[in-house]
Amino acid sequence: MEKLLKYCLSLFVIGCIFSCKSDKEEALKVLEFGKHYQGSAQSLNALTRVLEIDATNAEAYRELSIPYLKRGIPNHWKTYMDQAVTLDSLSWIGYRGYNYLWFYRDYKKAIADFDATDILTPNFVDAPQGHSVDYWRGIAYLGLKDRENSIAYFDKYINKEIEDSGEDWVELTAFLYRGIAYFESGNYESALMNFDKQLQYSRNLSADAKYYKARVLKEQGDIENAKLIIDAAIEDFNIGYFNNRPYVETIRQIYMEDLMLLKSELSL
Amino acid sequence: MRKKILKIVLYVVLIFAIVLFGLYGYAYYVMNYKFVPENKYTHSAEYINPETALLNEGFEVCDEDFIIQYYNPQRATYSKEKNGLRNFILSNYKNNNFTDSGYLNIRFVINCKGLAGRYVIHENNLDLEPTSFNKDLVDQLFDLTTQLKEWNPNYTHDAFRDSYMYISYRIEHGEITEILP
Repeated sequence: MEKLLKYCLSLFVIGCIFSCKSDKEEALKVLEFGKHYQGSAQSLNALTRVLEIDATNAEAYRELSIPYLKRGIPNHWKTYMDQAVTLDSLSWIGYRGYNYLWFYRDYKKAIADFDATDILTPNFVDAPQGHSVDYWRGIAYLGLKDRENSIAYFDKYINKEIEDSGEDWVELTAFLYRGIAYFESGNYESALMNFDKQLQYSRNLSADAKYYKARVLKEQGDIENAKLIIDAAIEDFNIGYFNNRPYVETIRQIYMEDLMLLKSELSL
Repeated sequence: MRKKILKIVLYVVLIFAIVLFGLYGYAYYVMNYKFVPENKYTHSAEYINPETALLNEGFEVCDEDFIIQYYNPQRATYSKEKNGLRNFILSNYKNNNFTDSGYLNIRFVINCKGLAGRYVIHENNLDLEPTSFNKDLVDQLFDLTTQLKEWNPNYTHDAFRDSYMYISYRIEHGEITEILP
């Protein structure tokens, strides 16, 4: 019996030794806990606790910023996001650019952050939120109506993707947006080429590519084909094949009214 | 006699198992929850206090304890879609020589019947720091926003639900340059 107690005591002591963790490790554990139920009081309290244990945990600051980003409380987002970038700019500056791009439509601040990733990682193209910073810059410059730079960055992104993995790996909206940038700068031939590429890789389903093709054809005076293709665009739209994104409206998002308006203009 | 012993052994095992579960539960609590201070945040990030909110009188939510986000899971939307919302705001807003720039955000609740209420206003400059806009500008955009009456409520778990919504006006020299989200 006494022996058994001794064993138990030893086990307890060993357990204690192994359960002693450094502050950083403990902070990481609480961080995992805090990632659940984003924006809830429980999550906010846990993330605050992470920073009490380890004030250098950049990811906790980023986690704290996100609920405010998605809920329309910009000053809190900025306070926390900037802290994350200050502590670990390598990991978070591109991500902050992505936030500026979509949630604030602050294209200049977005581009500044994307450009900073070039300096921080000179031989590597960062991909915040799963896409190359060149792709994001293509979109940001389109937002600024700087089509020349937009096309240049889409070229850079698309050419690298083709070189690394093949044309079928290119993000489809890169073709769409490059096409729109060409369309808006009056280069209809290049615009058509890009819309056709998007359709080629999306099983010929894309209300956006067809809508813009119809607009090109209208500009070129080919009303009959424009009419056919706007009807096809409406069909695609009705079955859900149109460009959109979660949380916020996408840049150059099209709506049924846009399609109907073009259709009626073509019938005049 | 044998039956009795078996019974006692079973009871002992049962009690042992219960104690073990209890210990496991306590250990789990200690490992995870104990570290979390419970008093700093008592509400979620989006919480709008009905007591201090604007136009909350007469506005009712269907479930005070279950107000979800506009983007989850179906998306609560304006009845005339984003285009209709944008057209209404832009065609009625008048820039009376305002010089303000920044983000005027209006947050509110869309209840499960598609009605809006319980508003709160956030004013930030273009660097996302708190600021104050011209009162006429704020009044005008607040008034227009509250005129957006009919919304499509969010739907989840077999019912229409209340949700938090916001509209962000990006303003440059008094002009609305973006309406988000």
